[in-house]
Amino acid sequence: MKYLFIDTSADNLIIAIIDDDKIIYYSNISNGKDTSSKVMPVLDEAFKKTGLNVKDIDKMFVVNGPGSFTGIRVGVTIAKTIGFCLNIPIIPISELELLATTSTDTTYNVSLIDARRGYVYGAIYDKNLDFFVKESHVLLEQLKKKYPNSYTIITSSNAKIDLLKVIKKHKNDEPIHPHELKPNYLKKTEAEENLNG
Amino acid sequence: MNILAIESSCDETSMSIIKDGHTDLGTVILSQIDIHKMYGGVVPEIASRSHVESITIVLEEVLTKASMKIDDIDAIAVTYGPGLIGSLLVGLIAAKTIAYIYNKPLIPVHHIAGHIYANNLVNRLEFPLIALVISGGHTELIYMKEDYSFEKIGGTLDDAVGECYDKVARVMDLSYPGGPSIDKLAKQGNDTYKLPLPLNDSSYDFSFSGLKSAVINLVHNEEQRGNKIKKEDLACSFQNRVVDILTKKTVKALKEYDVKNLIVAGGVAANSAIRNSLENACKQHGISFTVPPILYCTDNAAMIGAAGYFAYKKGIRADLNLNAQANCNLEDLL
Repeated sequence: MKYLFIDTSADNLIIAIIDDDKIIYYSNISNGKDTSSKVMPVLDEAFKKTGLNVKDIDKMFVVNGPGSFTGIRVGVTIAKTIGFCLNIPIIPISELELLATTSTDTTYNVSLIDARRGYVYGAIYDKNLDFFVKESHVLLEQLKKKYPNSYTIITSSNAKIDLLKVIKKHKNDEPIHPHELKPNYLKKTEAEENLNG
Repeated sequence: MNILAIESSCDETSMSIIKDGHTDLGTVILSQIDIHKMYGGVVPEIASRSHVESITIVLEEVLTKASMKIDDIDAIAVTYGPGLIGSLLVGLIAAKTIAYIYNKPLIPVHHIAGHIYANNLVNRLEFPLIALVISGGHTELIYMKEDYSFEKIGGTLDDAVGECYDKVARVMDLSYPGGPSIDKLAKQGNDTYKLPLPLNDSSYDFSFSGLKSAVINLVHNEEQRGNKIKKEDLACSFQNRVVDILTKKTVKALKEYDVKNLIVAGGVAANSAIRNSLENACKQHGISFTVPPILYCTDNAAMIGAAGYFAYKKGIRADLNLNAQANCNLEDLL
């Protein structure tokens, strides 16, 4: 089985191709502000270097958030388009869960992404990547109250992502139809918040 | 030659399949206007979010409408700018992905070139011509010597004409978008309010912020004095000033550049008073007048497919690293 992995939502842009549970292509470059111009050339390189064609992919894993709103949309749009055109199943992955794949010697991993003004996108995972505290957009001080006894804080700066771990956990998930795949922003737009507030 | 075109620069997710730059084989326009109405204008983040949710749905619909498969398409044309950056990106990424997986040429199209070529879907453009592009984001006078040659001779220094309509409509408690509301009301009123003719000089540039402020101040002053505004009359007075200045500068350009054809494009081209005034001016000067049907006035991908064909013939192509640009000039990619 050949899998394509796409993450454009975070500080690092990751594209990988996995073949029979082995990573055969892995690119992890600084994302910066021009994800949209960087991502397709990397995708092209991934297929050139592995000698594969997009049509050879059996399943796609795409990080659909949380993170940079624009970044999320880039990866999700690529996955939706490929999925629709070539009829390739898509499985969404959470950026917070991806961070939580980092190997630590504590019982829990606390995944955090800065969401400004004291807020974070955060979740707490056990070693099997199951939730201890499910993901949310929350004041860091609030989340801290839920920290367990044994935990390590994982952010993009100290994460050592174990791609195969998250893929192994989700490879048999029910795929999402390209039309139905949505970003997981975890946060409404300010305009919507103001309208409802 | 069949071009699949994608346009997502503002609040319409649109795709179209255009044959040889003039025949519309199928167009889908998914407007978000009902969502943005609640906010009195387009909210960029909400627009971007809506685009990503509908992008493949619109793709499926356009293929169904044209009874085609992507294999039947020869090239992909996409709006790369100007527009809302987050909105542009969704269409751009979809276009690049399709071009990549099917190994088709990718044609970057400037949004304004699209508006101009909307006319080609109706009548073949006659050169040389002057194009007046008026919309919520643009007010530009462009001289075209031949196909896909653009020379911007003037533009707005501040607000676009459509933006000015929206803001004036808001202060008058009229519904969004302001253009149709004011146009409708103006027909029932008289030109009684004294408003300035904005940037009434010898240049081809426009400025609408002064006129906008004059209306806002007038409304506030009347309110403070406890006087009721005659909305019909204010709509009529405001619209007349807009029509006067657009007509005056456009006619000057028609004469100076000695052209055969005036084309009017963009969402505000749907405005009846502006259309009538320009059409009459053209009649007086023996110049042919072209305006696209309403469907092709507002943002749509059909116009991008039409422009894309002529861009393709000129050899304009983009690489996979093509980026969206919030601001860019028509002349940039020539």
